[in-house]
Amino acid sequence: MMGHNVWAVIRREYLQRVRSKWFIIATVAGPILMAALMFVPVYFAAQGERGERVLAVVDQTDVLYERLAPRLEAAGYDVSQEAYSENVFAALTQRIEDGEIGVFLVLDEGTMSAGQARLVAKQRPSSLRSLSIRQAVVASALEQQLESAGVDAVSMLQGGALEVEVLSAGPRDRPAQLGVSFIGAMFLYMVILLYSVSVMRATLEEKTTRVVEVIVSAMKPWHLMLGKILGVGAVGLTQMAVWAASAVVLVSAGLPALIASRPELAQLSELQAVLPGVKLVLLFLGFFVFGFFMFSGLYAAVGAMCSTDEEAQQAQFPVTMFVIVPMMFLTPVLNDPSGSLAVGLSLFPLFTPIIMWIRVASEAAPLWQIGLSFLLMGLTIVAIAWVAGRIYKVGILMAGKRPTLPELLRWVREA
Amino acid sequence: MNDSGFAVRLSRVTKSFGKHTAVSELDLEVPRGTIYGLLGPNGSGKTTTIRMIMGILNPDQGKVSLFGADPDETRRTKVGYLPEERGIYKKMNVLEVLVFLAEIRGVKRPEGRARAGKWLERLGLSGWTDKKVEDLSKGMQQKVQFIGTVIHEPELLILDEPFSGLDPINQDVLEEIVRDFHGRGTTILFSTHLMDQAERLCERVCLISKARKILDAELSELKAAERTGVVAVECEGSDGWLSGPEVDHIEAVNGGFKLMLRDGADPQAILRRGVASGATILKFDLVEPRLHEIFVRHAGADAAGDAGLPLATTHGGVR
Repeated sequence: MMGHNVWAVIRREYLQRVRSKWFIIATVAGPILMAALMFVPVYFAAQGERGERVLAVVDQTDVLYERLAPRLEAAGYDVSQEAYSENVFAALTQRIEDGEIGVFLVLDEGTMSAGQARLVAKQRPSSLRSLSIRQAVVASALEQQLESAGVDAVSMLQGGALEVEVLSAGPRDRPAQLGVSFIGAMFLYMVILLYSVSVMRATLEEKTTRVVEVIVSAMKPWHLMLGKILGVGAVGLTQMAVWAASAVVLVSAGLPALIASRPELAQLSELQAVLPGVKLVLLFLGFFVFGFFMFSGLYAAVGAMCSTDEEAQQAQFPVTMFVIVPMMFLTPVLNDPSGSLAVGLSLFPLFTPIIMWIRVASEAAPLWQIGLSFLLMGLTIVAIAWVAGRIYKVGILMAGKRPTLPELLRWVREA
Repeated sequence: MNDSGFAVRLSRVTKSFGKHTAVSELDLEVPRGTIYGLLGPNGSGKTTTIRMIMGILNPDQGKVSLFGADPDETRRTKVGYLPEERGIYKKMNVLEVLVFLAEIRGVKRPEGRARAGKWLERLGLSGWTDKKVEDLSKGMQQKVQFIGTVIHEPELLILDEPFSGLDPINQDVLEEIVRDFHGRGTTILFSTHLMDQAERLCERVCLISKARKILDAELSELKAAERTGVVAVECEGSDGWLSGPEVDHIEAVNGGFKLMLRDGADPQAILRRGVASGATILKFDLVEPRLHEIFVRHAGADAAGDAGLPLATTHGGVR
């Protein structure tokens, strides 16, 4: 029976929020906007560019074509060679007019010595296309020259290799991991703060509009608080699920489609490598859920003990500090995710979601530490629920001045 | 009487806030099926009493029981509560609010939806079902909240100042609904400082002032006991019959007389004498005290420091 009441509160809280304009805009419009940014250019690019991808090469150097052709093919061109003759240019120009080929490229001595080439097209090609062709030409010419001088051109052109030897037994820091750690931490910070504070606002609103008196006469205040927290938490998870799903769809389906139509963008495929794995996504959700439960309990208590927005602004400060402090340690923890500072901070439950996330994303947290941190957060949630539930119970029906600390302690003892 | 004969029973309930005693050793018994008025001046402890009945406040001492049982068990489904400070989710639409309020009191959602529709129609709000509460006028919001109070068809209705903020037409509508519930056997406990409503509606009243109970009686008994001993008479012809052993003294008022009777005098004897005298008696009215006057007299006396005046010795001073 009581469970039914909690369910009613969750349902109300969830539906009210999910139907709100703000939620719909933030949740649905965001990914749609992202998708639009990706696919609209693709759509226009696909219009009538097919023919332009057929590229003829007139190679007056006689050595560059075999090096250039694979590069252009990789960039999505349909490449063919035309032998040089007096009237080949006129013939090719005519073929462009007829739509048989899109462009033709002329390589000569200048190409070998200075990377210069001539491109003939019906319309001015996009700077991206010119760039990809230019790069292919220059790379082929360099390769040819270097190899004739006895240099390992392939290795050189790929940027050489730096063999790094690390003396301390730390994790390999790849930039991709750094990005995931940092963006993930910012994101966790935002969603935990945003949704926990919503619980405070909702509590305060119920209190100031006196709705709570009717509700509490039908259910235990503890059930109201629980329902509220679960309802708001479900909204947060819904939003993240929508965002995550659209990111996956965009990257796994949208990106290949984009690259297929604009091969110049092939480098973007590296994005797929940056995408965090399933394990990391689950841990992220875990940190959100545990962090949200800890902080929403604290914020609910703050909302219950205040009577006006201004009061709440002040009273929430000590709680907000615990969300902000880990953000101040972001840089040292990112730099040394296995150091004792990082380990210590990550095991303090209120800091765990953000700090432990960084360590997990940097592959610097042993399994036992992750397990321990979740256990500690779990215990903290129980403790917060016990204390906050008591403050909530007394505070929610109390009008007037915000309680002092001794009064708060009395509430906790006596409730 | 068996405990379960009372819808509400408070025994020696006390509640203090810091140094201020809001309710002091209050005994209250609301028999099932009655309309019971909790009267008292502002700040006398009415709302605190009601909040203790609703379990929103816990008494410092004493015991509250509902239907002879632990109140926590029965409160959710059997009691409807309209608090003094009204409040309802402003951003929700009217129907959803009502379905939610019904749901937390144990009415399934489809049933809640059906009942809400009926009530909205009855109170002339059927066009507002899908509007947000905040788009409604104050009066309409009050009606919505009232529906929320009764939608689970409670056995006990507790209404804290239900008439405040309503226009006369809606006061009548509310009064009619209260009578309707009374007719179905619902017990109604309401607090008010509007004596007219209380006088029309209540079967039994409790007057509290300064945290203490002053009067607690059936309204009819109260009126009989508080009879002022005044008869208003208008007649044509001789008026000699007015004086007699029953009458202490006579005052002439415009167009008639006021007879001040001695203690225990029978007004019927005077009337018989008048009829025998052949006078044309236009009016012979035993002046009943109005609840308002009783209220002022007792609350006033209490306020002056003379707490707990016994009923029987209260005399005179009405006019």
